[in-house]
Amino acid sequence: PKYIIPDCFSGFSPRGDRGGRGGRGGRGGFGDRGRGGFRGGRGGGFKSPDGGFRGRGGGRGGPRGRGGRGAGRGGFGAGKKVLVEPHRHEGVFICRGKEDALVTKNMVVGESVYGEKRMSVEEGETKIEYRAWNPFRSKLAAAILGGIDQIHIKPGAKVMYLGAASGTTVSHVSDIVGPDGLVYAVEFSHRSGRDLLNVAKKRTNIIPIIEDARHPHKYRMLVGMVDVIFADVAQPDQTRIVALNAHNFLKNGGHFVISIKANCIDSTAAPEAVFASEVKKMSAENMKPQEQLTLEPYERDHAVVVAVASPPITYTCE
Amino acid sequence: MLVLFETAAGYAIFKVLDESKLQQVDSLYKEFETPEKANKVLKLKHFEKFQDTTEALAAATALVEGKIGKSLKKVLKKVVAKEAHEQLAISDAKLGGVIKEKLDLSCVHSPAVAELMRCIRGQMESLITGLPPREISAMSLGLAHSLSRYKLKFSPDKVDTMIVQAISLLDDLDKELNNYIMRCREWYGWHFPELGKIITDNLAYCKTVNKIGDRTNVAGSDLSDILPEEIEAEVKLAAEISMGTEVSEQDIGNIRHLCDQVIEISDYRIQLYDYLKNRMMAIAPNLTVMVGELVGARLISHAGSLLNLAKHPASTVQILGAEKALFRALKTRKDTPKYGLIYHASLVGQTTAKNKGKISRMLAAKASLAIRYDALGEDTNAEMGVENRAKLEARLRQLEEKGIRRISGTGKAMAKADKYQHKSEVKMYDPSGDSTIPSTSKKRKFEEVEEEEEAEEPVTPVVKLKKPKKESVAEEKKKKKKKKKAKEEEEDDD
Repeated sequence: PKYIIPDCFSGFSPRGDRGGRGGRGGRGGFGDRGRGGFRGGRGGGFKSPDGGFRGRGGGRGGPRGRGGRGAGRGGFGAGKKVLVEPHRHEGVFICRGKEDALVTKNMVVGESVYGEKRMSVEEGETKIEYRAWNPFRSKLAAAILGGIDQIHIKPGAKVMYLGAASGTTVSHVSDIVGPDGLVYAVEFSHRSGRDLLNVAKKRTNIIPIIEDARHPHKYRMLVGMVDVIFADVAQPDQTRIVALNAHNFLKNGGHFVISIKANCIDSTAAPEAVFASEVKKMSAENMKPQEQLTLEPYERDHAVVVAVASPPITYTCE
Repeated sequence: MLVLFETAAGYAIFKVLDESKLQQVDSLYKEFETPEKANKVLKLKHFEKFQDTTEALAAATALVEGKIGKSLKKVLKKVVAKEAHEQLAISDAKLGGVIKEKLDLSCVHSPAVAELMRCIRGQMESLITGLPPREISAMSLGLAHSLSRYKLKFSPDKVDTMIVQAISLLDDLDKELNNYIMRCREWYGWHFPELGKIITDNLAYCKTVNKIGDRTNVAGSDLSDILPEEIEAEVKLAAEISMGTEVSEQDIGNIRHLCDQVIEISDYRIQLYDYLKNRMMAIAPNLTVMVGELVGARLISHAGSLLNLAKHPASTVQILGAEKALFRALKTRKDTPKYGLIYHASLVGQTTAKNKGKISRMLAAKASLAIRYDALGEDTNAEMGVENRAKLEARLRQLEEKGIRRISGTGKAMAKADKYQHKSEVKMYDPSGDSTIPSTSKKRKFEEVEEEEEAEEPVTPVVKLKKPKKESVAEEKKKKKKKKKAKEEEEDDD
């Protein structure tokens, strides 16, 4: 599989070092807001009386790390012209500038969900906005950049997303499926659920479900039949969870896209062994695996498995 | 056999027309491949629509807990009880048990039933007639949101958008009010310019203008409830000798309208401020206790929401509001600002300029703890804020005392030399040493006497013009005068 590492993300160091950059990352966020494309955050209306505070330095630390912030901004300065072309996968695009990035078409123009970069492109008369998709934060983006053959998430599809967390990847899936599709986002944690609810407020094709995915009968009232199940739950019994949900809600011949974290299933075994055992479990549950792909260099010991529901789906266990 | 199928729009009861098909579980899906085929297997017996979202929410929560809600009970009694001999197929075994207990209806749940439910769900729109698919999806979206909010115990009290909007409105009102007042002053100043200079308070000015209208009415009107007495007298005086032009009744009428507006807006502003204070206390009590309502509201508004503010580290909270200065200093490698919005907090305001930086840092650290407690904690009391504020005030006192009193003891502290200050020395000639004849003036005598007494003060012939020494000389002179007075009194007594 081809590795396209967009340089604009090289500033984002891999997960392990994320902590160290925390503080500066926050400041970088300020800088982004300082440039064009203000969001509601600053628009509160208070104009800081800089006259009173200017130049009262006095004894504070000297120059901060300027290099780090500069690299983080990457190749997309404000106002640079970029070219956006469609990706092989429907609904996904590639933005070509000084560095290349994976982008999706923004459904809520002018808003950034988790502080990601947005780029506007003129399409004749209309302006279309795209949001950058960070493969270090999203397993689906990492899989696409890793060269997965089919993600099955396309415009107009109905997707069930297990393990939605704060809604960062869910927002991109929502962009891909567009206004005709639906994303049922299931997340059990209340903290993340609050953020998910905020994301769902703006996007009407996301249906937020704050429930345990282990009990799909609890949210049977809200969900119809879906075409694809995307699972990023990171639980040791995740195959069983996916199977339960599929039994209830996945149409015949529907697809699964499952992200497997080797550490989470069994931290003592070798990752390859874990992946193989998971695939075997999936076959036992009437899921026919079609592809498997590791998420190097974005994640360590992670894999994505694409499977199809082998018809007919009959389950003896309840 | 009857089938109970729950949707976001309501409860659906189906009657199975051909029970034999249910025996072949594996090929059941084939029967539901097209809407026509599906309708041959099942028939919609009854569809109980939810009246509104509250009813739907109640039904959904009952479903999650596995209990029978009111609407479900109603449906079951109405429809199924009539055909009590029939079995009811349901998706949840637990619910089946409860139904059997409460309503004495036999329920069945098996793999066949599960497969049946699946097929129904696949053909939902065609089986449930009279319900467009758009409506079902809209209802499920609404129901999902209300259910999630109910789960997250979303309380409208704790919505911080109110704060952000209120503080923006407060700023807007201030700007508008200022504009209107300036306009009113300018406009009325055409008729009675002196009034503008006499009454400095804006609200009082507008109230006065409202009351008197034309300046000829001043003598007759009573302004005691708006202005203090002296100012009222001044106004009455100025009205006689005013050099403004005459204006018609219509013009005065319009000016009065403007004054009415100003007074209304001022009152509303006070109301809004009260509202803001209440909201702040409800939403973020600890932050309010630490920095005050206005500063707290501005911080929340600047960050966008309370949760966003909680995510910022304490150093960011310290300089929130001074971004321009911060990034300019970082770019040009100068010193960064020490305070932002926090500068306006009372704790920072009441310290000396030297300690403002220290206090601002300490306040930001404790305030950011208070913010996180408010945003993510469970209880809503201000205990933690009060404690932290007490700690900070104690620290403040410590800092100030340290500045006043040089802490005695360590030789190092004593030996620390003062910074070199260039003292401009201008030597002047002191004529007192010219004559050796003792002078007879009283003053001199006492001075000489006191000089002998106060041996520690060396009398130098050359007077150095130095500011601190000058002060001490003045002090000495004062002391001498006092002693002289005391001695005079003694003499008088004698």
